[in-house]
Amino acid sequence: MAAWGCRFLRLGDPLLRGTRFIVSRSAPTGESSVLGVQFVRTIKSTTWWDEHLSEENSSFLRKVIPEEYSSQTASMLNPLKDEPWPRHKWEEGSRRVGLVALKMGMMPIWTKTGDKRVVTMLQVLDCHVIKHLSKEDFDGHTAALIVGGKNVSPFYRSEEHMEMFRNAGVPPKQKLTTFKVSDNAIIKPGTPLYAAHFRPGHYIDVTAKTIGKGFQGVMKRYGFKGQPASHGQTKTHRRPGASGPGGDPAKVWKGKKMPGRMGNVYDTAFGLKVWRINTKHNVIYVNGSVPGHRNCLVKVRDTIVPTRLGAAQNPPFPTFFADEDEELPEDLYDEDVFQFGEPSVSLA
Amino acid sequence: MASTARSVCTAICSLRAFGGKNHRFLSTSLLRLAAGGESDQPPKFMPPTKPVILDSAHKLPVRRFLSPEFIPPRQRTNPLKFALERKDMVKRRTTLNIPEFYVGSILAVTMWDPHASEKTNRFVGICIQRSGKGLGATFVLRNIIDGQGVEICFELYNPRIQQVEVLKLEKRLDDNLLYLRDALPEYSTVDINMKPVPSSISGEVALNQLKVKMKPKPWSKRWERPKYKVQGIRFDLCLSLEKMEEAQKWAQPWLEFDMLKEYDTTSLEESLRQELQEEASK
Repeated sequence: MAAWGCRFLRLGDPLLRGTRFIVSRSAPTGESSVLGVQFVRTIKSTTWWDEHLSEENSSFLRKVIPEEYSSQTASMLNPLKDEPWPRHKWEEGSRRVGLVALKMGMMPIWTKTGDKRVVTMLQVLDCHVIKHLSKEDFDGHTAALIVGGKNVSPFYRSEEHMEMFRNAGVPPKQKLTTFKVSDNAIIKPGTPLYAAHFRPGHYIDVTAKTIGKGFQGVMKRYGFKGQPASHGQTKTHRRPGASGPGGDPAKVWKGKKMPGRMGNVYDTAFGLKVWRINTKHNVIYVNGSVPGHRNCLVKVRDTIVPTRLGAAQNPPFPTFFADEDEELPEDLYDEDVFQFGEPSVSLA
Repeated sequence: MASTARSVCTAICSLRAFGGKNHRFLSTSLLRLAAGGESDQPPKFMPPTKPVILDSAHKLPVRRFLSPEFIPPRQRTNPLKFALERKDMVKRRTTLNIPEFYVGSILAVTMWDPHASEKTNRFVGICIQRSGKGLGATFVLRNIIDGQGVEICFELYNPRIQQVEVLKLEKRLDDNLLYLRDALPEYSTVDINMKPVPSSISGEVALNQLKVKMKPKPWSKRWERPKYKVQGIRFDLCLSLEKMEEAQKWAQPWLEFDMLKEYDTTSLEESLRQELQEEASK
């Protein structure tokens, strides 16, 4: 919405004496030049969500809507009450949907032989399927599912953005990701996803934005060796050295590793083993480290590492349904993990 | 006679003063024999003093102790993460008794070792450092074996640990005794066949006021610098006054007034204690 407003200005105003007047060509020139009328075109396409609400109403909404969202995620139900989509059996080569999870931090675990491993804890928080994209809608090769994680405030978000969530009947999400899935693994939008989608012993890939390191030199950025600290070095200790051959190409090759911005790019850790699942709090304990900082949202999917594909035979397909599938214990462990509460390790 | 009696009394009193907290050795027979000893006349009957048994264990309440790794570090981490870790820690403590101990206590740790001939390995040493929070908590034991300083860093929740014994429960002047590496070896030598010293479960933990003598410089760290806040070193024997004054140049006395660095854990500890008690009563 574009609005035309006009301001009447006093020419004698000392503050405006130096300013240039923008006078619209369509405006009647005779009068405006005398009065000093300034036509200002302001574009105002949106309103604040609480612009026309009273104080009590907006505070009420601020209170009620998070409660509603949390109760909705606690109910573990698909909000769309139409027909459930048909489910298919898992077969070799099927690709399942993945999850959006929150990186909580790291902790140690021990194996049954007493060896230490470190794991990253990933919490699956308010993860829902938002949208199904058919083969034609996506890229013509494969179907895809858009999955969102972590509820956010619906205020200050555009209508177009909110419409997608409204169609799925779920709260708006902080992070949306697309997963390519095979045709037999599609899930109805609005379905909640849980950590039990993966099971201990599966291998997963985790994608996230790495921690930004800023502008860094080649030693930190690419692991160059640098130069010696002493023995006559002047002003070359951390420099890259030569940047290529001399006269023949007479240029520096494209893609030469040089100083620059490091981190803050998407990175994937491949083939990480799932050691343990907490089904109550939806925490996945994943082997090793994972890109991204604490409390960042990561994308978790079944691994594409060929040697690890065989580990996930007959997974929950197309996903784990909390309301229909069997009741799970609170903690699922890999068979190699030492469970606290067992007696100390003492093997013969 | 009265004077002798008085002297015996004072002797007993002084014994009482030296005896520490758990003294039940007070006997009245000593007093009567002394009274009848000297003169020819039959001794006048003196009623024996009533035996007074001072048992401080029943007077003082049992000492409350929260292992330091239960207190989460101050950072922007989801508290659920620490709660999940605590759950595992409590579970581990149901099978393994991890006793109360401090930096400066003498411990014996028995650990399963697949490469040892008897499959277990017992190490006795003085605890010089406790670090880590949550399941990754560790402590370092130091001893001198065959003239060679040995330090082992144990993980508190490692399932290979079979037993943790406290041989002597005491505190030292510092929270970190890494300076024992630069001290004379006698201060970190512990007898590996040491018998456990009994200690009470009430009252304050004994504070050992020992100050160590150092080897000549260079040291692994400049312990005289104010940032280490070392109390347990006899600096007067190894450093001149000028050197000590020189070290004060690195003092940052304003840091203790930095309110952003304050981390008051008293309320946190209280809530953790309650939580752990509830878990234990289940």
